[in-house]
Amino acid sequence: MTGDEIRPSRLHWWWLVGALTALSAVVLVAALLGAVHLDPSSVVVSLFDRLPFVDVDSGLTDREEAILWDLRMPRIVLGGLVGATLAVAGGAYQGSFRNPLADPYLLGVAAGAGLGATIAIAYGPSIPSTPFGPLPLLAFLGGIGGVAATYAIGYSVRAGRTAVTLILAGVAVAAFLTAVQTYLQQRNAETLREVYGWILGRLSTVGWTEVWMVLPYVAVATVVILAGARRLDVLSVGDDEAVTLGVDPTRVRLVTVLAATLGTAAVVAVSGLIGFVGIIVPHTIRIVFGTSYRIVLPLSVVFGAAFLILADLLARTISAPAEIPIGVVTAFFGAPFFAAVLRSSRGLGS
Amino acid sequence: MTLALSLIDIRVRFDDATILDSVELAVERGEWVGLIGPNGAGKTTLLRAITGAAPFEGTVEINGKQLLAMKRRELARSVALVPQHPVLPPGMRVVDYVVLGRTPHLGEVTGPSRHDLDVVASVLEALSLSEFVDREVTTLSGGELQRVVIARALAQESPILLLDEPTTALDIGKQQAVLELVDRLRRERDLTVLSAMHDLTIAGQFPDRLVMLSGGSVVAEGRGRDVLNPELIRVHFGAEVRIFDDDFDGIVVVPVRSQEDINASNPRPTK
Repeated sequence: MTGDEIRPSRLHWWWLVGALTALSAVVLVAALLGAVHLDPSSVVVSLFDRLPFVDVDSGLTDREEAILWDLRMPRIVLGGLVGATLAVAGGAYQGSFRNPLADPYLLGVAAGAGLGATIAIAYGPSIPSTPFGPLPLLAFLGGIGGVAATYAIGYSVRAGRTAVTLILAGVAVAAFLTAVQTYLQQRNAETLREVYGWILGRLSTVGWTEVWMVLPYVAVATVVILAGARRLDVLSVGDDEAVTLGVDPTRVRLVTVLAATLGTAAVVAVSGLIGFVGIIVPHTIRIVFGTSYRIVLPLSVVFGAAFLILADLLARTISAPAEIPIGVVTAFFGAPFFAAVLRSSRGLGS
Repeated sequence: MTLALSLIDIRVRFDDATILDSVELAVERGEWVGLIGPNGAGKTTLLRAITGAAPFEGTVEINGKQLLAMKRRELARSVALVPQHPVLPPGMRVVDYVVLGRTPHLGEVTGPSRHDLDVVASVLEALSLSEFVDREVTTLSGGELQRVVIARALAQESPILLLDEPTTALDIGKQQAVLELVDRLRRERDLTVLSAMHDLTIAGQFPDRLVMLSGGSVVAEGRGRDVLNPELIRVHFGAEVRIFDDDFDGIVVVPVRSQEDINASNPRPTK
């Protein structure tokens, strides 16, 4: 038997091409659907027109161009960034904690980031959001605090500790942080509406501001997480065995969790609390393509983006012209999915 | 004399409990040393200390080099461990599990090279695992799984192989098969083997030398027939045994019930 005859799991390039094709199709559909009808072929031409070194006339009027590029596309791109980040962060948390139920929403990360964001909105200077303003910073600190508390409580349980213990700790932390956040929100009634709309999760944007705000964080977080994919595979055989294979489990976990929390906090700061994306997307990829993190994480980026753009499309079209909060859409599909994962997870004891 | 492994005054404490106390151990290159001792004697902790997984005081030298001065990956290329209770990731295939053994040889970002896959393939073939490559590790039987875990350790190509009770979950035939395999690999690949062992008869038959740990200290050391004596086993295991030793079959340790216990459980009928 030689090396040619064995086929270790890896990410095939045609999977990635297929995923990107699916994402492009979703983007196109989302760009076409809305209150104002746009001519499909003109939209396609206009999308191409924005590519570097391409200059073609789409035939869209200025008003139609504005609808496409100042209203729909920022929202689509933001949805893609948020979905990609939540999905890849979910996969990263699952690998770090060796826990199939881990998700930014369930670990207290989102609630912590929410509290931080509320403090920033209620007490912060009312300056426009920038990538390095108080809102992302406080959201990040809150997110780190949330996941740290969850981890500390979950791992202080010695007897009978299972994967579910960590999630229960996350529920307790999230409930506490949400209580504090609600209190602050009531005390500052003038920002109530802003905060409330934010909690339910929303992708309504003001042009490209939010996109530029989250992009640096999302890029850094994604690159760090993807670079650690193979080490997460090593971590899956246990901490002691990772050590015997030359990998420092504590460092891998720290770097991965920090990166995932950074990305999550940034997107939570602009999109609010959108749950379950981090569970639905990585698990579906595991079932279809394989369980190696070298497969799960890169595909989570692409399919996470496509998933959230679709969810947002549903949120804004189902009862148009009214909008359903996108967090409601993801929870509607995500909660039953979570129940299915819970049922099928074998060997949940950690 | 070339020492593969040298432990000098090793102490391990967890919280307030002393798990290992002043352990000294020297293993020559190519030698097979068996660690025996009652449950909780510190056998697993000793193996974990040598892999760098358990913090210790004292000096561990691997091929003459201080363990604490070695980088993690360098240590992993020198020492491989077959754990007693391997963690089996759901959905992971045998080939991916064994490829993990190449981790200390891979770069930070690059995947396994052609050479890495050749090593994995030859290990799989040597352990008769070729037909299992695409099976999921969670679906294997005890004997198959033990061979897969050994395959992962061998794929590391580390000259020192640590085994933590490698045969505990196996039936008697699989026990012999796995240990004969270890012995064959040791000779073919010039490995140094340190194995924690549960079954005293098997411990008397395979390793070149035995070390008995009890309460975190070495209490006896030497050839099988020196260490396996009824008095030591009574004191440290709390067991009554009879030992048969002949040149043909080797040493056989048989538990027996004491005459008092037998009398107590079968009182003579009173008239």
